[in-house]
Amino acid sequence: MPALVLLGIFMVYPILWSLWMSFQVGRGMNFSFGGTANIVRLTQDPVFIRALTNTLLFLAVQVPIMLVLALFFANALNDSRLWGRGFFRTAIFLPCVTSLVAYSVIFKSIFALDGIANQTLMFINLIDNPINWLSDPFWARVVVITAITWRWTGYNMIFYLAAMQNIDRSIYEAARIDGVPGWARFWYLTVPLLKPVILFTSVISTIGTLQLFDEVNLLTQGGPSDSTLTLSLYIYNLSFRFMPSFGYAATVSYVIVILVGILSLIQFIVAKDRRA
Amino acid sequence: MSSPLALLGRAGTYLLLSLAAFVSIFPFFWMVAGATNTSADIIRGKGTPGTALWDNIVKFINSFDMVRVLFNSFLLAGLGTVLTLIVASLAGYGFEMFRSRFREKIFGGLLLMLSIPFAALMIPLFVLMANFKIINTYQAVLLPTIASIFIIFYFRQATKAFPNELRDAARIDGLKEWQIFLYVYMPVMRSTYAAATIIVFMNNWNSYLWPLIVLQTNEMKTLTLVVATLTSGYTPDFGVIMVGAICATLPTLIIFFVLQRRFVEGMLGAVK
Amino acid sequence: MSSLKLKGVRKAYGSVEVIRGVDLEIKPKDFVVFVGPSGCGKSTLLRMIAGLEHITAGDLEIGGQRMNDVDPSKRGIAMVFQSYALYPHMTVRDNMGFALRFAGVAKDQIARQVNDAARILALEPLLDRYPKQLSGGQRQRVAIGRAIVRNPQVFLFDEPLSNLDAELRVHMRIEIARLHKELQTTMIYVTHDQVEAMTLADTIVVLRDGIIEQVGRPLDLYDDPANQFVAGFIGSPKMNFLEAEVVDSTPTGVTIELINHGRTRLVLPVSGGTMGEKVTLGVRAEHFGEPGAGNCDITLQVDVAEHLGSTSYVYANAGGEALVIEREESRHQNDLDRMVVSISADKAYLFDSQGHRIR
Repeated sequence: MPALVLLGIFMVYPILWSLWMSFQVGRGMNFSFGGTANIVRLTQDPVFIRALTNTLLFLAVQVPIMLVLALFFANALNDSRLWGRGFFRTAIFLPCVTSLVAYSVIFKSIFALDGIANQTLMFINLIDNPINWLSDPFWARVVVITAITWRWTGYNMIFYLAAMQNIDRSIYEAARIDGVPGWARFWYLTVPLLKPVILFTSVISTIGTLQLFDEVNLLTQGGPSDSTLTLSLYIYNLSFRFMPSFGYAATVSYVIVILVGILSLIQFIVAKDRRA
Repeated sequence: MSSPLALLGRAGTYLLLSLAAFVSIFPFFWMVAGATNTSADIIRGKGTPGTALWDNIVKFINSFDMVRVLFNSFLLAGLGTVLTLIVASLAGYGFEMFRSRFREKIFGGLLLMLSIPFAALMIPLFVLMANFKIINTYQAVLLPTIASIFIIFYFRQATKAFPNELRDAARIDGLKEWQIFLYVYMPVMRSTYAAATIIVFMNNWNSYLWPLIVLQTNEMKTLTLVVATLTSGYTPDFGVIMVGAICATLPTLIIFFVLQRRFVEGMLGAVK
Repeated sequence: MSSLKLKGVRKAYGSVEVIRGVDLEIKPKDFVVFVGPSGCGKSTLLRMIAGLEHITAGDLEIGGQRMNDVDPSKRGIAMVFQSYALYPHMTVRDNMGFALRFAGVAKDQIARQVNDAARILALEPLLDRYPKQLSGGQRQRVAIGRAIVRNPQVFLFDEPLSNLDAELRVHMRIEIARLHKELQTTMIYVTHDQVEAMTLADTIVVLRDGIIEQVGRPLDLYDDPANQFVAGFIGSPKMNFLEAEVVDSTPTGVTIELINHGRTRLVLPVSGGTMGEKVTLGVRAEHFGEPGAGNCDITLQVDVAEHLGSTSYVYANAGGEALVIEREESRHQNDLDRMVVSISADKAYLFDSQGHRIR
């Protein structure tokens, strides 16, 4: 099994190494064993707290919005009577195949101070003065969330759509004959039947959002004043931007691991509960 | 037959879908339009075709050694995709086909690793590469990405749909295990491969953080890195960047459209 | 056409034994059917013969050679699978020639063998199609054709007809019987359908829980089952079982009382059983006679009658015990709600509480 060997070298070894690292203090390449010093530093580091709350905020807002949208679109597109299914499906999936840099640039230019977003909003009289999207803490977060949602909704939708097509049509026909209304067919048939996939996508999205790096680095670089700083970005900054502090960076990264573990567990438990 | 309420619902569905489609497509249009405008026009929100296309292209090509950059990008994404598919499909096939007491445990361990953020591994990997003395090489970019757990997971799920009897029949027909893989498994699973190709190529092509760390000289940089560099200046030239963005998007777009039909099929297999 | 021998064959998954010691000899050219309920180990046994499952203990010989550790492709066998297992990405022609390609057979030789097999099965017009363009019956024929091309000493069939509809099943059954006549090869056929077993087999092997219950020719199994399980499994409709109790036992006869039929007494010309032992009387549907024609009469409550034209089946019960009675010429009895039938002692079977036959 060559794959296992590769994994062994490029996953297991670094994992153990970083675990060990997380108990090291020091700068650059000089380490000494610091025990729980890094963990203590975590609790007193305002930037870390900032990054943590930002990441959790993104998670709490973005993942549910995206998954609900994806589920809704998938359900709409699964209707064989819908006109233009192929077009809508491709269109909504399209963002997913854009290049990462391309879309961050596009978003950056759309949300520039006198960019098209502001002009449009002002034109339809929603706002009076241009919003300083990327320099305002609140709006910068909105832009980041919008960007991620734009990119990944279609991706999740494809999973749902594929799963929906595996559901036996006759179940819906039976429900229609039984007089079950459309919303109930969706809620009591589609959703429970898709549960494994929903669980899968929510775990994957959670992991993805917790590890969020590329988008924020390209769009805002964590600013303004750390309002969009994520844990991954902070780790990157700790390791490569400032004076390298690998040990502490490793400790921060294990915060993500623990978060992923806890959240995945919760999602599994919630999914189990609904079956009962 | 339809009640007014249902009709309203249908209209709403179309409206929302159209809105979603517009929102999805608009940035593409924006990108193409932007490539023809000057940076100042773009920032001012000009969404109509301009006349600066040629200027932008020239400026873009001259900003870096584009032949080299494109070569790097295609080599890394292409080779990475091929290698990843081979490794991951072998692993997925192996996991599903060979019973072993440890199988589920190893697999569970793999899934756990999926949850470890790349950020956590970045530093150790970097040091590992430094120890191998392969920083700033293609190998350094490729090696850690080849054994993608997600793709292994995906292939294992899809392999569940591969009929066991087919493997039995092939064994009776006298095929060795590797021949079964090559002549039966791979052709039968082509939709799965197609879907995986899109995902892996996309990931590799767009790969940003890891190449950013290990590729340090200009002649090793990929298109993604180059476009990102263009944006990070104080006065980014959006027109030029849009040209770069188009270049960065086209390959994945083309692959997607070529493999689209198989993609949905392949996804279907994986979620069964 | 080879003989095949199983000696003390066992199969265990961990601590679970699924084949618990099978001894069997199969003569050349014999058509042997393994039959039994699902989970009896019949498919596992077949897969062990094919080499797809490892043999935990015991010996397998094909044509006098020990084959336990020989590669499936070198055992001289070919197999037809339940799901047909056609390679979906290859044409019928390529499917059929695939094994030969890997055996290093020359291209023109492959073409000849494929064409020969196609002619036998009337597959010639389909050779360039893909499996998904074929109907279920056609796929089945291709699967058989693929086996024929290999010119095996032993054909193995794993429930080959269970994915077909009833009409096609009958058709393919006849086709397989014809093929056996034509090819004169040893064939081993696994099914849970006793009708297929009865119609196809030279020899039936009845399996249950990983052991052989009985081996014999179809009609021998029908007329002379070794135990209650075989008696119940072979024959359609199923043999009727009536609860009874031994009230007298002499070397020349056993007297029983039928518990659910007002303790009606019946003397059977067998020896065995002890006083007071709970036993089961087995009577086939067609062996119930007109009132007074047998050795005792029983009265039944009629539930429903099915008229099939030539015969009718009457479903009746007494004291909660359901029975099926086959009647010819009974088209007008559907309005009856009671009927009296007789049981003949020489056409009834007696089983002890363990299900063993009392002869």
